[in-house]
Amino acid sequence: MGGHSNWPEWVYIGVVVAILCWVGAEAWNVERLVEHVPEDAETIKVVGQQWFWTFEHEDGTKELGELHVEAGKAYKFEITSTDVIHSFNIHDYVVLLDAVPGRVNTVWFAPSEPGEHDIQCREYCGLIHYNMRGKVIVEEPSA
Amino acid sequence: MRYRVGLFLALAAVIGASVVQAASAAGDEPGQYLDRRAEIWNLFFRMMTVAFTVGAVVSGTLIWQIWRFRESHPKATPTEYEGKDW
Repeated sequence: MGGHSNWPEWVYIGVVVAILCWVGAEAWNVERLVEHVPEDAETIKVVGQQWFWTFEHEDGTKELGELHVEAGKAYKFEITSTDVIHSFNIHDYVVLLDAVPGRVNTVWFAPSEPGEHDIQCREYCGLIHYNMRGKVIVEEPSA
Repeated sequence: MRYRVGLFLALAAVIGASVVQAASAAGDEPGQYLDRRAEIWNLFFRMMTVAFTVGAVVSGTLIWQIWRFRESHPKATPTEYEGKDW
């Protein structure tokens, strides 16, 4: 230590630690908000397989390649795969999660306005990966 | 020195404990509707703001120090290539 002041180092360490704490807290909080499924979310089972997506609603309705949902409602996707690893992506709503065989991953979203949005596979899954696409069709609220 | 390290560790423990407590409390309340795009973009924007600010401060300090203390070492003398008349 011999005779020189080292307070700038301590200030530097303090600032770095404070910034790291802030970054961690902010990221953790947003992740908590984004991953926390609303109570009334409808569950939709999503199955990826070479090379298309299938969907099953809570009432048993099944869809192939197209998913119909209503604006203003929350939906929880339970995503899995029957063959290789895929990745379920609705780009416009920042939904992106792997579909892994033997495992169910969950993610939720709440479409706000009617419209059509692309679904695509985001994990290379074989020859026709590039065309493993679908559509989310967001309809007007029924009630 | 010991006092400072102790103070630092104590503060770290307090912050760590509060983070653990907040993390364990999360998940009790029902989730709320939100726009994922907005939340994620806002987080990205805040992080980028901090990153660029820190980058500007660090690189600014470096540039200032290099300029301020350039050729200031008492033993640094001009080489023969630079001549002696300055």
